[in-house]
Amino acid sequence: MIDNGLLVQMLLGALLGLSVYLPLSAGQLSLATPAFYAVGGTLAALLSTRWSALGATAAGSLPPASFLLVLILGGLLAGGLAVVVGQLVLRLRGIYLAISTIALVEIVRVAILNLPFTGGAVGIFSIPQPFSEAGGYLVPALAMLGLTAALCHRLETLPLGRAMGAIREDELAARCMGIDTTRVKLIAFVISAVVAGSTGALAAHFLNTWNARQGSFDVSVTTLAFVILGGSRTWLGPVAGGLLLTALPELLRPVGDVRLVVFGLVILLGPVIFPGGLVTTGLLERLGRSFVPRRHSASEVR
Amino acid sequence: MIELVLQSLLNGAASGGVYALVALGYTLIFSVLGVINFAQGALFSIGGYFTYLLLGGKIGANGAFPGLALPAGLPFWLALLLAAVASGLVGLLVERLAFAPLRRSGSEPLQALITSLGAGVVLVNLLQILMGAEGYSFPEGALLMAGLPDALVIAGARIRTVQLLLLVVSVVAVVMLTIWLERSRAGKALRAVAEDPTTALYLGIDSGAMVRLAFFLSGAMAGLGGGLIGLSVSLPGPYFGIGYGLKGLAVLVLGGLGSVPGAIAGGLLMGLAEALVPPDASGWRDAMAFTILFAVLLVRPSGLLGSGPIEKV
Repeated sequence: MIDNGLLVQMLLGALLGLSVYLPLSAGQLSLATPAFYAVGGTLAALLSTRWSALGATAAGSLPPASFLLVLILGGLLAGGLAVVVGQLVLRLRGIYLAISTIALVEIVRVAILNLPFTGGAVGIFSIPQPFSEAGGYLVPALAMLGLTAALCHRLETLPLGRAMGAIREDELAARCMGIDTTRVKLIAFVISAVVAGSTGALAAHFLNTWNARQGSFDVSVTTLAFVILGGSRTWLGPVAGGLLLTALPELLRPVGDVRLVVFGLVILLGPVIFPGGLVTTGLLERLGRSFVPRRHSASEVR
Repeated sequence: MIELVLQSLLNGAASGGVYALVALGYTLIFSVLGVINFAQGALFSIGGYFTYLLLGGKIGANGAFPGLALPAGLPFWLALLLAAVASGLVGLLVERLAFAPLRRSGSEPLQALITSLGAGVVLVNLLQILMGAEGYSFPEGALLMAGLPDALVIAGARIRTVQLLLLVVSVVAVVMLTIWLERSRAGKALRAVAEDPTTALYLGIDSGAMVRLAFFLSGAMAGLGGGLIGLSVSLPGPYFGIGYGLKGLAVLVLGGLGSVPGAIAGGLLMGLAEALVPPDASGWRDAMAFTILFAVLLVRPSGLLGSGPIEKV
């Protein structure tokens, strides 16, 4: 039931989960991931179909090196956008930040739908393929997930990651301790955008077609659900949530129309049944995963 | 020319009225619980479909129930009112399923965001199973049943009655709600819970009942909006409420979280701004609300009429 295509989608889901997790681990509830995903995907789709220097053949294949370049450029554009937008929106807190990032997602969606060169409602199609079959995408997707997860894992012991944790627990206290909270929040936001942008660039090639619907409010919802249901205390949570929740609607396909209702029920009941998410620090300790450093919560420090 | 301007201003004010309705729905719940109910857009859809069915519209569901409908359509006003009540009841159900369990276990507000989104996904997809993905137009003559002509001529300009109706009904609903909140015993109790739940408890106010009241009223507001928009435009499919839910959210923040006059002013401002987008750029209209929101948040992070939370040190 799980074929290579679904596996790639699951890995992409895990990457988007990490993209939401990064700002959240600095206490910033940003729902902007789909906007950066859409920007990265659109740039990749445009470059691969229009820029002849990339060497796309008439038969629709793309050299692997060009594919890699497009992935990087997608991430860079999204990151650049995040530097600008982040400086504006990260002054906002809590629900104001969440809603202003939803606003960003909607603005980007409408822009992609209406700009003269992005193909309107149909979007961009026949995007050149670097691989002859879906399984080929497993390698770059796994590599990207591995890189991002390694970064998140390293962050838990690096000063930057510690500062992010401190801001999450108490932003004011963190600032009093001399942490440049604005800078730390911006870095987390930009890394998150780069991950989402590159993921979008990969997804555009994998899906072979790209349009404005790829980065909508729905995606904000599902990607946030990856993190909340998976668990937002360690990077393993969003990865588990992204893998499982991407697979779920596909695995439920046999039940037909009811599958999205079931998906909704999972999101509705998940936080009630698993208040801290599926992967909690407690669970990891019970499993004896000593390589996951224990996060000290504010109450323990006191 | 004057006709065109008048018509587009009225269109703007009419959709602004509906945005204000949705935003007030959010405001009611936010002021009491400090959380956003993301199922509001789904309740908007549900209100539209209830109104359609009560008017005697047929259940679609890809022809699973051929010809199934109410034996006779209700008068428009009654249908709209009952649909609002029904949406309010669904709102109560959302509270029971998505908010009450979390409140009892005392989890973070972030969780309620997810559970209410989940409730919205369930509702919209149930609607899709029951009614199909196709769009519906309201039965012909729904307006005539309400005893209203199709168009009015004011100052030489021909104006669709539906738009006027939209504006009047939403303004009346908003004003009635505001007066009720200010004057009535239950309204005062609701504001007391919003102000300080502990003190309200000592005053003998049943905060649980007030929370349910807020959810009922909020659902009814969304349902009313859905019925009105369904009448004026049509029901393009079960997801149509989501877009209005998002714009309501923009209005909510634009006006200032928890501020009733802010929600009204924000709604009208947003509707008028959208109406000013020239027709040949109409594709960009949906971005208007969010661009304004973005701009306002950067200048005034607590919204136009919000006071902004006092930060605890």
